[in-house]
Amino acid sequence: MRGDFAYARPDSLDEAVAFLKAEGDSTVVLAGGTDVLVDLRSGDIRPAFVLDVSRLPELKGIASTNGEIRIGAGVTIQEIQAAGILRRFAPALQKATYGFASRQIRNVATIGGNVAHCSPCGDTVPPLLIHEARVVLKSAAGERTLPIEAISAGPYKSALPPDEMIVCFLLKPRAGVFADFQKIGRRKQLAIARASMAVMAEQDEKDRVSFVRVALGACTPTPSRLEAVEQFLEGKALNESVLWQAGRMVVEKMIDITGFRPSYVYKEKAVQGLFMRMLSPMVNHAT
Amino acid sequence: MKLEKNKVRVRFKLNGEDVDMEVGAGETALEVLRDRCGLKGPKEGCGIGECGACTIVADGKAVNACLMLGPRLDGCVVQTVEGISKPDDRLSPLQQAFLDHHAVQCGFCTPGLLMSAQALFGENSHPARRDIVRAISGNLCRCTGYGHIVEAIEDAAQRMSKEGT
Repeated sequence: MRGDFAYARPDSLDEAVAFLKAEGDSTVVLAGGTDVLVDLRSGDIRPAFVLDVSRLPELKGIASTNGEIRIGAGVTIQEIQAAGILRRFAPALQKATYGFASRQIRNVATIGGNVAHCSPCGDTVPPLLIHEARVVLKSAAGERTLPIEAISAGPYKSALPPDEMIVCFLLKPRAGVFADFQKIGRRKQLAIARASMAVMAEQDEKDRVSFVRVALGACTPTPSRLEAVEQFLEGKALNESVLWQAGRMVVEKMIDITGFRPSYVYKEKAVQGLFMRMLSPMVNHAT
Repeated sequence: MKLEKNKVRVRFKLNGEDVDMEVGAGETALEVLRDRCGLKGPKEGCGIGECGACTIVADGKAVNACLMLGPRLDGCVVQTVEGISKPDDRLSPLQQAFLDHHAVQCGFCTPGLLMSAQALFGENSHPARRDIVRAISGNLCRCTGYGHIVEAIEDAAQRMSKEGT
């Protein structure tokens, strides 16, 4: 493979951020490596250093703390799939793992890497958005926390300074809700999402929507939570017509954010269909 | 902190034997295994983790060797297709099942498929058909249409549970 870089493997998170303070500008952080190796091979990135954080214990583990779910940045997609605590409290995130690349990639790819890569199609991002995830970041100067929306500055552009790394994600847990993640790709496995969506919803005893979260991926420069759609649905009993109107809003929001693109001739219908298909089980439940 | 410029010392277990060597910081595990260790079983198909022809088992998990940086072999227990036959060089039940079910045509994808199946058996000795299909869905085969491959893996699982291996 191409690449004339030095390999650095820190023994602790403190060592890692001290290294980034000195060499962050010319360093790429390596976690699972499933995106980094592709970019090294193509020559899209030419770092002087590769900082291998894959063995840092501080980035591992999934746990419930202070009413939040903490997922370490170094947790692999396969570990998310296997975690009973996420099946219960963040089911859409877990559903997103089933269509994530392939088994070989899920075994090593990490949630931190998926977010830090800032792909508009990152499968873990819409689920993190609906759980209002906060991202704990660390640099030599200390820790800070940002909302998940603030990490990406656009397609493949991180908003984070080069001396900072993601330590973990803090999710608002939600048990016993209707939750789903789906994506439209060209095939089942190893498909890059053309459109992806994560939803969570709850209905009250009169079948009105009492809680709802919707996030769209792959159709906007960064995945977007659609709060206008959530507000529209809140308090309404769901039927075909309400879902159609809400789906139309999803599409309008997508065009608002991105501007009209040629692919939207297809995506307008696909995204509306995806939204209606995903929430239709709630309509059946109401009747 | 381990910081090494051009050469990185790695110690790992490869098909049961200890290896202690220097690798280039920018070499992939696939390059190390093929070009330095002389193991030509893992293949480079796409080189970007889409075809699975380079699949090896590292610490019990199927991974794409083309997406693994060579220095990360350090400390790993690695198995390639060369390491799955029995000590006396007889084929493993999995390999024999691939022959018996005509699951090999051009053969380029076969080592990767064997390793994905091997990793599956490591975590589940009685996989259902859907487990098998999921486990090998990161391995592309352009010849067989997969039917014979899935049958071979199903059969191998049955033979192995009978043999108790």
